[in-house]
Amino acid sequence: MTEATAEIYATAFRQAAVTTAVQQKWTRSCALCHVNGEGGAPRMGDVEAWAERRKGGDAILMKRTLEGFNRMPALGYCMDCEIDDFAAMINMMAGQP
Amino acid sequence: MINRRRFMASTVLAALWSSLPSMGRAAAAPVVAKTPWHNWSGYLSANPLGRIAPHNEDELVSALRSTSGAIRPVGAGHSFSPLVPTDGHLIVLDNLSGLVSHDADKMTAELFAGTRLSDAGRLLNSVGQGMFNLPDIDRQTLAGAVSTSTHGTGRALKSLSGYVTSLRLVTPAGDVLDLDADNDSDLFDAARVSLGCLGIITRIGFKNRAPFKLRSRTWVEKTEAVIDQWEALAIQWQHFEIMPLLHSDYSFIIAHQETDAPISPLLEEDDNGELLALFDVTPVAMRGALINLLAADIEPNEGVDTSFKALTNLRFDRFNEMEYSLLAAKGPECLMEILQTIKDQGIDVSIPLEYRVIAEDDAWLSMFYNGPRVSISLHRLAQYDYSPLFDAIEPIFWKYGGRPHWGKVHSLGYAQLRSLYPKLDAFITLQKELDPQGRMLNPHLRQILGR
Repeated sequence: MTEATAEIYATAFRQAAVTTAVQQKWTRSCALCHVNGEGGAPRMGDVEAWAERRKGGDAILMKRTLEGFNRMPALGYCMDCEIDDFAAMINMMAGQP
Repeated sequence: MINRRRFMASTVLAALWSSLPSMGRAAAAPVVAKTPWHNWSGYLSANPLGRIAPHNEDELVSALRSTSGAIRPVGAGHSFSPLVPTDGHLIVLDNLSGLVSHDADKMTAELFAGTRLSDAGRLLNSVGQGMFNLPDIDRQTLAGAVSTSTHGTGRALKSLSGYVTSLRLVTPAGDVLDLDADNDSDLFDAARVSLGCLGIITRIGFKNRAPFKLRSRTWVEKTEAVIDQWEALAIQWQHFEIMPLLHSDYSFIIAHQETDAPISPLLEEDDNGELLALFDVTPVAMRGALINLLAADIEPNEGVDTSFKALTNLRFDRFNEMEYSLLAAKGPECLMEILQTIKDQGIDVSIPLEYRVIAEDDAWLSMFYNGPRVSISLHRLAQYDYSPLFDAIEPIFWKYGGRPHWGKVHSLGYAQLRSLYPKLDAFITLQKELDPQGRMLNPHLRQILGR
């Protein structure tokens, strides 16, 4: 990952906004696993679990979200999600809206 | 091996939302900024110019007419063949989701094409209908599943495209076409399995049946013994498949039969997952012996559930997949040659094969056009290179006249495919008429269609 890409991802997290559209996308995709913790996914609102995932840096977390990582499917089943959407969803699930 | 974990109730989601601070509604701009695209397994990638996610058909028509260059529709991104990648615009169907209408007398229902299979079962159940059959994974959109002739298993049961009664197709030029068997039947037969290259499918009508429950049973048995009894077992069980455990003499069997018994879901089968994990870390030279030793200890499992819950699963371990369909008479010999080849070459793969049966349908590019077939699927976990497995086995499929699954890995082009799919040239003629500029083509589709 280039420094420029990492900066784009970091900026997305700083500027993320949980809009109604983001909520709708989250409901039809991320919620499948991140509500009940399916497949070992960190649950919505589990601040500790999300802090553990963010230890490596938000840019790495975004890269894994986009490309898939372990049991996390690439793009988390959200084909129309943009980087800004993913950042907002992660912030929301991590209790940092 | 089989996890049946379910999405939580919508009421819980509603409670979650009510706990969030009030937030404004997003602007309805359908064209959004650039983000890379990957398929479910992460193996395929693209950098589309943008994503278009229309909220209705008018928005879709407007977007198609106001953009130029390449467009590719995407469903859930569950295809392993590069049908989707484009440097143009991705058309995302997720906002076109839900039940449009239903006819209780004809037992048909029309759904928006972006509806996920996992939602379709619940929606249809609410109006007293159920789909005849479903594939193993239910996260695909209806459009994606139908367009690649995705299927479940069952001797008398067709692929999803075989139950389509109507569809609405929006052409690259933005023309809206309503198709069924009485209204441009050639285009209807072509569009049902059209790989997303005739236009964007926005609605699909299905022939359904009354909701039903299935008694599910899983057990382990010697592969040769099951193959010998295949016909009888496939008649006895409405849905029947085997999963040969590689390097061993055994198969995991999954069978379902309609029942009126009360619901009692299968036990969670984490033990089988643990066994698979054990097989995965066992040196390949010892794996067969270990499985043969432990197979007899794998207990049968039984349960009863609503059909759409019994037939489908969430798959958490990402993989890539190759699948070919063969005439039923050639299936057993092909299967045994594949198993022997994997054993002889010591190919280090632990996910079982999948051997299923599918009834004939008449969609031009269906793998099951002109006759019933059996399908053989190979899986390789996403973190591993699939080439050693797929490269060794694909020529065996060719030897037996196999037709590749459109949504799974294969290396065939137009020259080979035209001899396997007798209506391919007729399909290409229609594709050129509807998409003269080739907007809906990408390199993979150009290889398939030879244009």
